[in-house]
Amino acid sequence: MSLLEKFTTAAATRALLTSLPVNPTDVVIEAVLSATEAMVRGRPTIMAGTNNYLGLTFDPACIAAGQQALAQSGTGTTGSRMANGTYQAHLDLEAELAAFYEQPHAMVFSTGYAANLGSLAALLGAGDAVLLDAEAHASLFDGCRMSGADIFRFKHNDPDGLAKRLRRLGERARDALIVVEGLYSIRGDCAPLREYADIKAEFGAYLFVDEAHSLGVYGAGGRGLVEEAGILDEVDFVVGTFSKSLGSIGGFCVSRHAELALFRYASRPYIFTASPCPSVVATTREALRHVRERPELREQLWTNARRLYAALAALNLELGPHVSPVIGISFAERELALGCWQSLLDAGIYTNLILPPAAPDGGSLIRISVTAAHTPEQIDRIISAFESTIRQHTAGCAA
Amino acid sequence: MIPEHDAIVDVLIDLLTKALDRPQAMSADTALIADLGLESIQVIEYLCEVEDRFDLAIDEDTLADVHTVGDLATVVHHLLNR
Repeated sequence: MSLLEKFTTAAATRALLTSLPVNPTDVVIEAVLSATEAMVRGRPTIMAGTNNYLGLTFDPACIAAGQQALAQSGTGTTGSRMANGTYQAHLDLEAELAAFYEQPHAMVFSTGYAANLGSLAALLGAGDAVLLDAEAHASLFDGCRMSGADIFRFKHNDPDGLAKRLRRLGERARDALIVVEGLYSIRGDCAPLREYADIKAEFGAYLFVDEAHSLGVYGAGGRGLVEEAGILDEVDFVVGTFSKSLGSIGGFCVSRHAELALFRYASRPYIFTASPCPSVVATTREALRHVRERPELREQLWTNARRLYAALAALNLELGPHVSPVIGISFAERELALGCWQSLLDAGIYTNLILPPAAPDGGSLIRISVTAAHTPEQIDRIISAFESTIRQHTAGCAA
Repeated sequence: MIPEHDAIVDVLIDLLTKALDRPQAMSADTALIADLGLESIQVIEYLCEVEDRFDLAIDEDTLADVHTVGDLATVVHHLLNR
């Protein structure tokens, strides 16, 4: 196959998507009206397909912090953390993250993707064994792949399958790394972290948890599912992103292992990229303060999540197994999912459409996410749009 | 006793038939993705079944050159003999 011939498959996929009335991968946000509303296709649309769980993207204090940093420190750092890109604010953010998680060490990356790639590629090497959940995010897989470690997959959320594989690894299990997510972002299902921590202890392995979608959402202090599961002092590495609950961009890794500080000398995705710009660091720090000090945001988020999940369940839709701010609705047929997604958009509700091969089980899903900033009236409108849509596309839509 | 390559192919086809949940003629030359249209997650889950059936740990790199049922049988046979 020639250099450019390999794009034939991508061209066919694009042709299929562009033949649809609205290409679901090419929806343009024409203007952002608030944390929960945007102009899409010329009309105000409720955003029910973001990761803005605490609704902080338009928080006045976060915006003010960003504006002040922009004025004081400029638009960007123009350099790597290893060169001219370490500002005092980066160190302050790392100290705040370490304190937040009650871990001695923290490290900030330029994106959530880079945090997974950079942490795993630094931690693992050729000859190491890593056990990776079958539905783990691409960034986790890519990090494992980049490291050159031997990758062993186990079925999604299957502690027994994990234990079996560790047992088969024999002596190698003692140094193996278990890599999972907290909250999975497509179906909104949670990992059995307590069981994973027990298995890790049984085999003497290490546990690495990606809390991208759990930070600020779970746990009494907002520290994610590792806090909710009571394993904060057992987990070895926690990674996360700033681009969801914290409403900015960037990523981090915290750990009780002093070796995390040495990742700075070994992690190419950390070394060979520009550090986060000052305004992003400032809004992230302010948002983290809100996570710590405003539990009412989490309470509102969960009120919205419970209400929407219950209403959708009452429509006999096939939902993910756990009530969470992410609700994945499975459809038996791709065309049905597509039709429902289009009808929702026509009704002024933006959701995420996930078609094969992106969906975990090779099926088709509509993913909805709620935020603390959605008003009761907006939740009403989302529910009402779903009721109409399901009526309109009735056959085959039910679970 | 370690099964021969052909016997492994039979077991792999049996597991594939269960995974596909539809009738499908298969042989050692059947390609897992090109012929059966398995999505990546289905391949992972199928491989987990294969590992459990033969009590093996198969790392992803080992599968780089696996395209057909017969290729996979060769990998399983090799691992069982190791």
